[in-house]
Amino acid sequence: MTVALETRGLVKTFGGLTAVNVVDLAIREHSIFSVIGPNGSGKTTFYNCITGFYEPDSGEILFFEKPMTGLPPDQVTALGISRTYQNIRLFANMSAIENILVGEHSRMRANWFEAILLTPRVVREEKAAVEKARQLLNFVGLAGLGDQQARNLPYGAQRRLEIARALASQPTMLLLDEPTAGMNPNETHEMTLFIRRLRDELGITILLIEHDMRVVMGISERIAVLDYGAKIAEGTPAEIQGNPRVIEAYLGSGAASGIKPVVRQLE
Amino acid sequence: MKNMIRNSLRTGIVFGIITVFLFLVGFTGTAANILADLLNNESAPPLFGWAPPMLNTVIFVGLIGLWAGASGASREKDVAGDPYGAAVLGGGIAGFVQGLLTGLVMALVGTLNERGVMMSKYLAELLPAAVKQAMLGFPPPGAGAFYLLFLTAAGALGGLATRGLGRGGRRPREAIRTWAREKVEVLPWVQSLRRSPAVKYAVYGILLLGILLLPLFAGQYWNYTIGTVGIYVLLGLGLNIVVGLAGLLDLGYVAFFAIGAYAMALLTAPTPHNLMWNFWLVIPIGILLAAVTGILLGAPVLRMRGDYLAIVTLGFGEIIRILSKSDDLSDFTGGPRGVPAVAGPDFFGLNVNSGIAFVYLIFLSVLLVIFVTNRLQNSRVGRAWEAMREDETVSRAMGINTLTQKLLAFAIGAAFAGLGGALFASRNQFTGPEDFNLMVSINVVAVVIVGGMGSIPGVIAGALVLKGLPEMLRQLEDYRVMVFGALLVVMMLWRPAGLIPSSRRKMEIDKDAGLAETAEEGRGK
Repeated sequence: MTVALETRGLVKTFGGLTAVNVVDLAIREHSIFSVIGPNGSGKTTFYNCITGFYEPDSGEILFFEKPMTGLPPDQVTALGISRTYQNIRLFANMSAIENILVGEHSRMRANWFEAILLTPRVVREEKAAVEKARQLLNFVGLAGLGDQQARNLPYGAQRRLEIARALASQPTMLLLDEPTAGMNPNETHEMTLFIRRLRDELGITILLIEHDMRVVMGISERIAVLDYGAKIAEGTPAEIQGNPRVIEAYLGSGAASGIKPVVRQLE
Repeated sequence: MKNMIRNSLRTGIVFGIITVFLFLVGFTGTAANILADLLNNESAPPLFGWAPPMLNTVIFVGLIGLWAGASGASREKDVAGDPYGAAVLGGGIAGFVQGLLTGLVMALVGTLNERGVMMSKYLAELLPAAVKQAMLGFPPPGAGAFYLLFLTAAGALGGLATRGLGRGGRRPREAIRTWAREKVEVLPWVQSLRRSPAVKYAVYGILLLGILLLPLFAGQYWNYTIGTVGIYVLLGLGLNIVVGLAGLLDLGYVAFFAIGAYAMALLTAPTPHNLMWNFWLVIPIGILLAAVTGILLGAPVLRMRGDYLAIVTLGFGEIIRILSKSDDLSDFTGGPRGVPAVAGPDFFGLNVNSGIAFVYLIFLSVLLVIFVTNRLQNSRVGRAWEAMREDETVSRAMGINTLTQKLLAFAIGAAFAGLGGALFASRNQFTGPEDFNLMVSINVVAVVIVGGMGSIPGVIAGALVLKGLPEMLRQLEDYRVMVFGALLVVMMLWRPAGLIPSSRRKMEIDKDAGLAETAEEGRGK
């Protein structure tokens, strides 16, 4: 099977702190891959390296075998990688549908001159864009809320809108940063089903950062564990659950022996 | 009852302070002059021995008294049970307190004036003649007593009127609104009119026609003012793209205005270069030069965010002004003396450089700029700008090349300013360094913020208020900046988003259908 995203020996340091320490990952196409780890283990920094917000100090990032290390964020998006944020970052004063239209930016061509002249091509493009935005609203279950300002939407709807906006750039890969943060068990369950739909119906490869172990274990095909920036384990959910190094990373040394029964109970 | 008296006292104190303040800054005199213009009674025969200026002062103060009485009475909810007595009492108390304050100050100032103290040494507007006018020909104690009685009466009358119009203690405005809702809006023809777009266009059409016909009747002075407002609308719309849409705080916007103006001046004037090019040729050159400068300045500077950008652009604005003033460059720019005899537009040999024609030219430019702004705002480009303003980091992740988009916003904003500058220099037939001081930048930023960021009607309203109003209140000259500051503070409290904030365009056309769909889905589950 094809590898969608690969990192080779990725390193990112901030002064004396090594936030990402030689991380090698290979994420297969159409899979759901989770990155977990304690707070401050470098997960979000890892995302920022992939999406071009940080330039890695060394190492390589390949997207479908094409090198993309050091590309600026807008070009990464144009390649087909899109993301959401841990703390929702919508364009709060724009309407829901406009948020999605901004997401379509990289797939539209109208420049300022054509926009002033309002050429037939621009009219067509704009019409198609609005139509697509409405379809995306429907897809994420926000039909009819398109003209609401993003800031006025309820929390769960904002999460969905953020995903719809990310989908608008027609990504082949989606990076979700804690999509169920702040949700109740019910909403979390719905979000889990929704993430699976993204992969099954749209064929998008999903990279997921998540703290809710039920979500991670429930939908991931593979999981990588980061601790102090380094990858300490990788494998299927079952393999990760039994890995003593992972338990140690989360709960401290010596905890592995004591915690196993609890982990089994959680299953 | 106790409540009512307290409310009325408070209202009276507030209105009293306002009246005293207006008197001390000389506004009662200004207002009397404005009233004289409105009533056209300058040559009217004296009434009760008052010549028209004094009469108008009385009318103006009386109007404030009526207002105080109305406020004093309508604040009171207890009034609802009592037909008229309480309202009159409430208004009267408010008027009495207002009159007491005003009367005391009048008596004091009048006495000082009679003793030969030059009040104008402390308060520029209080010339002996102005104080005499405010005394209405009475000796100071008499004037104080008159104001006390007069304002009490006016207040009571105001309370009475409120009660009469208010129908049951409601404020008159609410009463009118209720009446309209209950009696007028249910009429079938009113409803059909409200729904038909033709009416909307007709209203806009009449408004536009009014604006278009205005210069023909306005006279030279007002046409000049309208022109100035128009040029500020151009500048405001340009800065609106930079600040309002793209969210880049540019405090040196005057630089692009100066470049447009100097392009027009240096290329068309006989001195210092004697190029004498045609006005119409230079307009696009001015626009282009300003846009190119915008890009050249923006390329290094736009990597900075927020405050840093503001400081750097502030410096750039000053650099341009100082360069234009510099003695070393005076052979090229005309130096501190500026450039005289800038050409006006001609139309196929026909000189249309009259005040009226120029106002129309400015109108045309404003329409063009509104058109361009509107098209851009509702396009992919405009959305990218707004996204950058909302969250620059995320907008990059959405595939927006922020540097290119910022440069574009800067260049287009600069182009509008270049157009404004070229027209400005040509209209004044002169340009010099002092036309481009820091206050111009600040004023334009204020136009955008007061009007409403990102809103085209807002910018027009802002320019009218900030450039038009001061012209109307010319006599306030010395206090203009103070009133301007007070206005900004009030604005921020009253309408923090601007006079006419931008509204979001509705895009989900059949909204109801969408909702129905969701409901359908919900039932399916």
